Formats: sequence, structure tokens, C-alpha cells
Amino acid sequence: MAAEGSFLPGVHIVSGDVGSGKSTLATALAGMMQPAGGTITRDGIGSQMLSFQFPEYHITGLTVGEECRSWSRDPGPVLRECRLAGRGGVSPFALSRGELKRLHLACVLPGRYDLLVLDEPFSSLDVEEKERICREISVRKHGITIIFTHEQAIFPKTDFLWEISGGNLRYRGKVPDALTGWEHAPQVIKNLIASGRCPGNITKMDILEAACRT
Amino acid sequence: MISIRDLRSGILSIEDLGIAPGVTSVIGANGSGKTSLLKILAGISNPEAGTVLVDGIPPRDCEIGWLGGFPDRNLLFSRVTDEIASPLRFRHMPEGIIRKRVRDCMDMLGISALAERRVQELSGGEKVMVALGAALIAGPGLLILDECDSHLDISRAAEVERLIRASGIRYIMQSTQQMDAAARSDSLVFMENGRIAHAGTPEDVFGVLADTAFYPLSWKCRL
Repeated sequence: MAAEGSFLPGVHIVSGDVGSGKSTLATALAGMMQPAGGTITRDGIGSQMLSFQFPEYHITGLTVGEECRSWSRDPGPVLRECRLAGRGGVSPFALSRGELKRLHLACVLPGRYDLLVLDEPFSSLDVEEKERICREISVRKHGITIIFTHEQAIFPKTDFLWEISGGNLRYRGKVPDALTGWEHAPQVIKNLIASGRCPGNITKMDILEAACRT
Repeated sequence: MISIRDLRSGILSIEDLGIAPGVTSVIGANGSGKTSLLKILAGISNPEAGTVLVDGIPPRDCEIGWLGGFPDRNLLFSRVTDEIASPLRFRHMPEGIIRKRVRDCMDMLGISALAERRVQELSGGEKVMVALGAALIAGPGLLILDECDSHLDISRAAEVERLIRASGIRYIMQSTQQMDAAARSDSLVFMENGRIAHAGTPEDVFGVLADTAFYPLSWKCRL
């Protein structure tokens, strides 16, 4: 794949089909892989975090509680927040796939990073948890947050839209102006735009507000 | 009918559940017991107590196809055709018949172009199609998909949905976090803490869940 562009502070969504190169670009942006050609410059990035699609890759603790502490997080509040209270003594691998993702994101998201790259943060999460994570991302005030996802229903408040198609990264623009050119837009957003009701952003509330317009 | 009676296993506690032929979606929060239930229905695990019967027959005596959310973790063979042929080879079917059935299966799924490929070279979406081929080739009466759409893009998920609908399999059970996909099922089961909280048509079940995050966004935005 080929990519060219600048990621400014704010929340970015990069959408694209499975196999289009999202994880490759995420890894390269986080500096964990050198591109075959070209350069990636991380101006003013003192702290950064890459959250892998598969949370198993991040595990270093033998128990859920140890895993929290390995992120310098207090297990009590973290486990309450991600609905795993009382499970601190079990192995992270004893959790269901979605529970492990919840634990991982609850450890990652409170961090203050100049660059936060989230690869498919919503996959495996239940819908309530997706909404909760989106609310947290929506209020991030600091740094650059880049979300690579094929999610089609639940999104955080987003500043910039990108997508990967035909092997190229394409910048669609600032939300909401970018929505009309968004190839991977969920059907519900396409329907709203076709009926002349372009939502102000892509959160569930923005979509419902647009749908309720008369 | 698939019937579940007095089932107890881990967090699962199901007194009485009947599942009619067609596509049934199992929804619920992470950790509510969806995968545990599907594994028992597939015969992958046995319940601690209770009975599960598929048209009167225990799951382990039935032909059942399974497709999980991470198919590359279950792929056994390095060549695509060997992977799809494996359920038939394990039962020592004649090689000539196997080759024909693999060809027919790959044609039906539209993946004949992958015949000479190695599994490791495939994209995530292609691996799902190969795993689906292996799940379908023995002609299962029950096909189980455990959040197989969680790592598929919308176009590939729609393709899988179309193919399983067209396969004519008597029972298709899937867990999903895509509520718009669940809304297109014939029946819906909503699980909470290992129990069946609601079961019925999508209209019935989502009717009860109208004020929750589970209610499909597309239904809220019906124009």
C-alpha cells in the first residue's frame, strides 16, 4: 500500500476492508515497522502507544490484577470500570475474548499520549462497551488519536476521516464535510445523506439527531 | 427443533429453550455465556448437567459445522484444498469423491481461485472463506458461527450471510455483536449472566431491548 498525509491533533478514523493494509499502516505509524520506501516523521511526539487488534499480544501479567499493575493501573477501579470486579485473581487467558479487550482498553485509554494508535479497538466488544469506549475517546483532549477500524455502527466523535482503498490511503477531510465522500460509510449514514440530512458527526447521538430532523 | 433442557455448565443455566430451523442469532454482553452455549451445541464441550438434542439426537452424533472468530487459529493444513478436504479425509472417504466435493464447495463459495494457494498467504477474509468451506463440506445439519463477523468488513460479512442463507442448512446459529445483522435473523436469543433473558423473533426481542444499546441503530433511523 502507499500512503501520504499529515495527522494533526484530534481524533482520526481510518476505515478500510480487511486485508487493505490498516494494521500495516498502524504498525508503521507507531514506529514499529520501517516502510519499504519513504519516511514517517513524528513531530513533537514524546509519548506514544499502539494498541494491537488482538489484546493477547499485550499480556505480561499472570493474573488480571497483575496485568493492570503492569500498566501502572490500580486494579480495583480499573476492574470495576470494565465490569470485571472480583476477577483480579484469574488468568487473563481465562477471560472471554471481549472481556480481555475490555481489560486492555481500560488499561490503555487513561494514558496521556502524544500519539495513540488503536488498531480495531471495537472488534469483539459488546455494543454497550463499544459505546462506553467511544464516549471516552470522544473526550480525549490531548494529542493525536488514530483509530483503524472496519466498524459500521458505533463511533466516537471524530475530527478527521481517512480510508484505504485501492492500495492507497486517502484523506476524506474534516467531519462532517468528509461524510459525503466516505466510501466505507455505514449504510445508515449513506441513507441520511441521500435524504438530505447529513449528520453533524458520526456518534450515535449525531446520527439519531439527523434521523429525527423534519 | 433444537431443544435444551435443565442445562447447567459454568455460568450457563438454561431451563428450557427450543430453537426452530432457520437462522438464530445469539446476542448479549461479553461474558454472558454465548460462546459457552454455542460450544455445547456444537458438541465441543459437554454440559455438566441437562440435555441438548438436535432433532432428538445429541450434538456429538450430529454433523455440525463450526466457524469461530479467529479461523486462522483453527486451520490445520497448509494447502487450501487440504484444509477444505480435511473433514472428509478424516472419515476416509474415497479420494475421487473428496476432490469433486472440494471443487463443488469452492465453486459454491466463489473461492476456486484460491485452490493452489497456501493458507498462510491468504488475507483474513480469505481465511474465513476457507474455514467456512471446511465447515460446510460435510453437509452439516447445524452450522455454528461464533462472532465470525467481528473481524470481517461489511462486504465480506454480507457475502458470508448470503452464502449460509443459500446453503440450505437446516439450523444456523450465530453469535454476533452486529445488531443490524441480528435483526435480519429468523429468531433471536438474548443472554444475560448465563441465562436466556429473552427469546423470540427479532421484533419481539428488540422490542424489549428498545431502550438499550442492543437496539439496532438502523431500526431507530428508519426513514
